[in-house]
Amino acid sequence: MMTARDALSRSAPFLACLGLLGIWQLAALALKTDSLPTAWEAVRAVPSILGDKESLVNILASLRRMAIGFGAGVMVSVPLGLTMGRSRGVASFFNPLLMIIYPVPKAALMPIIMLWLGIGDVAKILVIFLGVSLPVIYHSFQGAKAVEEKMLWSGAAMGLSAAQRMVRIVLPAALPEIFTGCRTGLVLALITMVTSEMIARQSGAGNILFNALDMGQYDTVYAMIIIVGAMGIGLDVAFESLRRRLVRWSEPGFDIPIGFA
Amino acid sequence: MNPRAVISDVLLGIVPIALLITLWTALVSFGYAPAALLPPPRVVLTRLAQQLFSLSYQQEIAATLFRLFTGFSIAVILGVIVGLAAATSPAVNTVVRPLVRVLAPLPKVALYPAFMLLVGFGHESKILLVAADALFPILLSTYSGASMVEQKLIWSAMAAGTPPRQILFKIVLPAAAPSILTGCRISLVISCIVVFLAEMITSTDGLGHVLVTAARTFHAVDMFVPLITISLLGLILNGLLEGLRAYLLRGFPEI
Repeated sequence: MMTARDALSRSAPFLACLGLLGIWQLAALALKTDSLPTAWEAVRAVPSILGDKESLVNILASLRRMAIGFGAGVMVSVPLGLTMGRSRGVASFFNPLLMIIYPVPKAALMPIIMLWLGIGDVAKILVIFLGVSLPVIYHSFQGAKAVEEKMLWSGAAMGLSAAQRMVRIVLPAALPEIFTGCRTGLVLALITMVTSEMIARQSGAGNILFNALDMGQYDTVYAMIIIVGAMGIGLDVAFESLRRRLVRWSEPGFDIPIGFA
Repeated sequence: MNPRAVISDVLLGIVPIALLITLWTALVSFGYAPAALLPPPRVVLTRLAQQLFSLSYQQEIAATLFRLFTGFSIAVILGVIVGLAAATSPAVNTVVRPLVRVLAPLPKVALYPAFMLLVGFGHESKILLVAADALFPILLSTYSGASMVEQKLIWSAMAAGTPPRQILFKIVLPAAAPSILTGCRISLVISCIVVFLAEMITSTDGLGHVLVTAARTFHAVDMFVPLITISLLGLILNGLLEGLRAYLLRGFPEI
C-alpha cells in the first residue's frame, strides 16, 4: 500500500522540475527580454526540434556515440579497476598515471584528437571513452579493495582459481561501488558528449544548441537545453532504477552522482 | 609500510609515465607521426617554459584563475550554507533534496548558452558556469558530513548551555569539516576543468582560448601548452588544498 506520504516523496523530483519551470516562467515574465523566452515557449519548441528529421538524426547520432563510448569505457575500466584493487603492484603501476590524467579536461582533447583521427565518429567516441573511464576505474578500485580477505581465502580453500575468485567473489562484492562509478560515468559521458560537440561544432546536440545561439533562435536554444537536461535526468533515473534492481541488497552512500567533465 | 616498499611503489609508478613519454618521442623521431601533428616532448616543454615567462601568457593564466576562484568561492559559500541548512532543518531539506536530485545530474554545460544570453559573454557567464558545476559536490559533502554529526555531541553542548546558533558553529561545522574539505577538493579540480572548457567554447582570453586559437591555425605545439598548463594548475591547486586540509584537520582522527 502506498501512503500519501510515499507518493509525495516519490513525486518530489517531478514537483521540483515543475517548480523550476515555474520560477523560469515567472522570471521571464518579469524580465521581458528577448534573451529569456518563457518556459512555456521553450517547452513548446521541443516537439518541433524532435519532429525535425535532421535534428533528430543528429541527436540520435550523438546518443549512439555516447552509448558506444560509455560501453567501451565500462568494459575496459571495470576489469582494470578490479585488478588494481586486488593487486598492489598493478595499483602502484597505474595510480600515478591516473593521478596525472585526472585534472586534464577530457573534452578539451577534442581539437588535438581531431587533428590525428579526423572529424569522424572515432575522435568523438574516444573523448567520451576517456571521460567515462576515470570514475569507473576509481570506484571499481575502491570496491575491489574493500572486499573481505576471508571470503577470498574461503574461495581459495574451496579450490577457486585466481580468475574464478575475481569473477565470482570480487566482482559481485564490488558491484555496488561499480554501479556508483558507472552512474557518475554516465552523467560524465553526456557532459563530455555535449561539451566536445560544442567545441568541435561539427554535428550533434551541442552543435544544434550553438547554431541556434548564433542565429538568434532563442526558443530553440532553450528547448535544446531542456532536451539535454531531460536526457541527463532521464538517464540518471533510469540507471538508478536498474541499480536498485540489480544490487537491491546495498544502499549507496551518496544517492546523487557528482559529475564533471 | 616500510621505506623499501614505498620506493619500489614509486619506481613502479614512474614506469608507465616514462613508457608513454618514450613512445611519444619514438613516434615522432622515427617518423611515424609528423612533428606538425605530434610535436616532440622536448619542443612542447621548451615552449611551455618560454610561455610561462611571457607576459601575455601570464595574463591569460590570470584571466583563467580569476574566473576559477570567483566561481569556486561562490560555490563554497553557497554549498556550505545550503548544505548545513538542509542538514539541520527538515523543512529546508524537503525543498532542497528534490531540487538537488534534479539539478545534480543535469549537464551544467548545457546551461552555458543561457548564462551567456542572460549575463553576457564576459567573465560573468563563465564564473556562473564554474559556480554551478562546483556547487553540488560541496553541497552534498557538507550535507552528508553535517547530518552524520554525532547526536551525543549536540546533546552535551545543549546540556552545557550552548545556544542553538553557537552549536552550529562550534559543533556541527567543525565535525563536518573533513567532509566539506573533501568536497572542496573535488570541486576545485572540476572548476579548473570547467573554466577551461567554457573558455574554449566562447572567449576572447584565458587558457582555453589560447588552445582554440592554436587549433584554428594548426599550431600543434601551442595546443599542448595550455592543456598542460591547466592540468598542472589542477594538480598544484589540488595539492595545495590537500595540504590546507591536512593543516586544518591536524589532530582529527584519520578519515
